[in-house]
Amino acid sequence: MKRKYAAAAFATAAALVLAGCSSTGDAAQNESADGQDITLWLMGGDTPDTLRTYLQDEYEQATGGTLTIEEQGWGDAVAKLTTALPDAANTPDVTEIGNTWAPTFTNAGAFTDLSDMYDELGGDKLLPSFVEVGDVDGAHYALPYYFGSRYNFYRKDIWEAAGKTVPTTLAEFDETVKSLRTDAQSGFYIGGSDWRNGISWIFANGGDLAKKDGDKWVGTLSDPKTIAGLEEFQSLFEGASNAPVTEFDSTPWVNINDNEATGKPEAATIIAPGWAHWSIGDLAPDPKDATKTVATWNDDKFGTFVLPGVDGGVAPVFAGGSNIAISAASKNQAGAKELMKIIFSPEYQQMLGENGLGPANLDYASSLGDDQFAKALIESAAGSKLTPAAPGWAAVEGAGILEEFFGKVSAGGDVADLAKEYDAKLDELLN
Amino acid sequence: MTATITTDAVTTAPGRASKPPRRRRGRSVPHLLLIPAVLILLVGMGYPLVWQAVTSLQEFGIAQQFGKPAPFVGIDNYVSLATDPDMWAVVGRSLVFCLVTAAVTLAIGILLAVLMTAVGRAARLTLQISLLLAWAMPVVAAMTVWIWLFDRRRGVVNYLLDMIPGVDMNRFSWLSNPLTFFLVASIIVVWMSVPFVAFSVYAGLTQVSDEVLEAAQLDGASGWQRLRFVIMPMIRPVIAIVLLLQLIWDLRVFTQITMLQDAGSKAGEFDLLGTYIYKLGAGAQDFGMASAVSIFVLALTLAISWFYVRSLLKEDAQS
Repeated sequence: MKRKYAAAAFATAAALVLAGCSSTGDAAQNESADGQDITLWLMGGDTPDTLRTYLQDEYEQATGGTLTIEEQGWGDAVAKLTTALPDAANTPDVTEIGNTWAPTFTNAGAFTDLSDMYDELGGDKLLPSFVEVGDVDGAHYALPYYFGSRYNFYRKDIWEAAGKTVPTTLAEFDETVKSLRTDAQSGFYIGGSDWRNGISWIFANGGDLAKKDGDKWVGTLSDPKTIAGLEEFQSLFEGASNAPVTEFDSTPWVNINDNEATGKPEAATIIAPGWAHWSIGDLAPDPKDATKTVATWNDDKFGTFVLPGVDGGVAPVFAGGSNIAISAASKNQAGAKELMKIIFSPEYQQMLGENGLGPANLDYASSLGDDQFAKALIESAAGSKLTPAAPGWAAVEGAGILEEFFGKVSAGGDVADLAKEYDAKLDELLN
Repeated sequence: MTATITTDAVTTAPGRASKPPRRRRGRSVPHLLLIPAVLILLVGMGYPLVWQAVTSLQEFGIAQQFGKPAPFVGIDNYVSLATDPDMWAVVGRSLVFCLVTAAVTLAIGILLAVLMTAVGRAARLTLQISLLLAWAMPVVAAMTVWIWLFDRRRGVVNYLLDMIPGVDMNRFSWLSNPLTFFLVASIIVVWMSVPFVAFSVYAGLTQVSDEVLEAAQLDGASGWQRLRFVIMPMIRPVIAIVLLLQLIWDLRVFTQITMLQDAGSKAGEFDLLGTYIYKLGAGAQDFGMASAVSIFVLALTLAISWFYVRSLLKEDAQS
C-alpha cells in the first residue's frame, strides 16, 4: 500500500513540475526574420488557393524561409487554439481567428502586441469594428483579416407571381415572407436556433446580447428592446419558416434552388453570407463529377436585397469575418511580423477583394467589384454589427448557449422568462 | 461445474500465483515482468488522471491555460456541480440511456448467439460476416449513413414509415425532440455493439458441452428450460463481463451523440455526460469544472463496476 501512495505522490509531483514548466515558456526570440520557417493557421477553406500560394511565394522571397499553411476546421478551432497557442513548441506563428473569438484570446494574453506596426499595416484605414475586438486597453493585438456580410436572396418568380415587391422596412419584410409561406414552401427559410442570422432582428430593434456595466459584462436579453426584437423573430419564425426549431447551422441555399424531386424551391427567401451566391441558380449536372451539380445564377429567377431596418434603410446584420494575430508564444516573432506585412500589402488586400472577401483595409473595398453581390455586400456590411467584445465570448459560443436560447424562443416559449434565464447563463460566462 | 468454469475463465492468474513458490528467486520475476505494464499505465493513465484530479480542485479557465496561476478552490467545483439541476438532469439521462441501451444490446446479442448455434453452417457464416462488417465499420462512416437514414426530408426511415396507411411521417424531425433523439442514438449504439456481445456469448455457448444438454433433454427439460437453467448459468461469467463493458461504454458514449447533435441540436437537453464534459471543457473553457465532472463519472463507473468486482471476489473466496 505504501508503495502505491509513493507512486501517487511521485505522479502528483511530476504533474506539478510539468505544469509549472508550461507556464514559464517564455520564447527565446530570434531578432532576424532571415530564413525563419513559420506556420500560418487558416480557418476553413475561405482563403482560396491562389492567395495561399501568393503568401508562400512572397514570404520565401522576403525572408528565404518556408511558410507552412495549415487549415483548421471552424468547428473545433477554439479547442485547438486553446491548447496550441500557449505551447511554444506547437503554436502556429500566425493564426486566423473568428472575429467573435478575438476578445477571448486577446484578453487571455495569447497574442503579440502589434501597436508599433499598426500604422504600417494600415492604421486608421483598417475596418474599425474588427480592430476594436482585437484591442485590450488601447493596444492592438488581433487585426482584421477579411470581412463578410449577410443579405437576402429571393425567388423573383415566386415573389412576382404573388405580386410582392422588395420591402423597405423590416415589418414589411416580415409580412411579405409570412404571406408567402405554404406547407411545402417557407416564405423565409431560417433555422429556429440560427442565432447568427436571428440577431439581426434584435440589433434592428436597438437591442443587444450583452453590455459592459462598469467593468463587468452582463447579458441584456431582458432589455425591452432585445425582447421586442426576439418577439418579432419568434413571430417571423412561426409564421414564415418551415425549418425545425433545432436547426442552427444550415445551408439555406439548397432550399432556394429548385428541388430535384418536386421542381420547386423549398423557400421563397433566405438570408446567407454573400459567397452563397456561387451555390444559387439553375442547377445542371457538373461535367467534371456526375454526382454533383453546378448552379448558374439566373437573373430572371433570383434576386438579392439587403435586410431593411425597422424604419427603412439597412438593418444591422451580424458581421462575419476573421481577425489575424501573432501568437505570443511563437519563437519566430520577426518572421511572423514579415508575414503580417505581406498580408496587409496593397497587392494582397486587392486579391482578397477580387475573391469576394471584404479586404481589411477599406481603401481596397473597390476591389470587390460593382456587381449586385458586391453592392449588397458593401451595403449590408456598412450597417453590420459584431457580437459583444466580452472576454468570455468564445466560451458563450463554445457552450452553444445562444443556439439553445433561440431554439426555445422559436419553439414558442415565453420570451421574457427565457431571456431572464439565459441572461443568468450569459453572466456566468461573459467575464 | 459453474465454479470450475469461472475459475478457469477469469481467475487463472491469481490461481497460479497462489501456488507455493518452489524457489525464492523465482518470486521477483513476476514483479519485474509487471514493471513495464505498470509504468505504461502510470504514464499513460496516471498522469492525466492526477492532472484531472488536481485541476478539479482549481479554478482553471482560459486565462490559466495561457499561464496565469490557477488558484486552488477546494471542493467549490464539486459543490456547484452538486447544486446544479442541469448536471443531475444529464446524469439521470445518461444512466437511463446506458441501462436501457446495454440491456437491449445484451438481449439482442444473446438471441443472435443462440440463433448462431441453432442454424446451419451457411446461415451462421452469413450472420457472422454481417455482424463482423457492422463491427468493423468506422464510427464516423456508420454515423453518416445513419444520419442520412433518419434525415428529415430525404431519409429512408421517414419514406418507409410514411408509406404505411394512416401514418404521417413526412418530414418528421427525429433529432428535434430529446425522446426521439435518444431513441435514434440508442438504436445506433445497439447496432454498433451487438456484434461484440453476439460473438462473446457465442464463444461462451460453444463451451457448453453437448453431453450436459443431452442429459437435460433426457430428463425432460424443454428448450426454454435448457436455455434458462442449464445454458445461462454456464455462460453467466461471460454475460457478466460483457454487460459490465456495455454499461461502461454506453455511459461514456460520445462520438455518436456529438455527431447526432451536429445534425440535430446542440441544446442542453440533448446532452449526455460525454458531450456535457466536452461542452464545459473544450467549449466553455472551464477546465476546472469539466475535470470535476470527469472525476464524478469515474466514480460513477467504479460504482457500476462494483457488482462485478464483488461477484469476482465472492467466487474467488469460494474456490
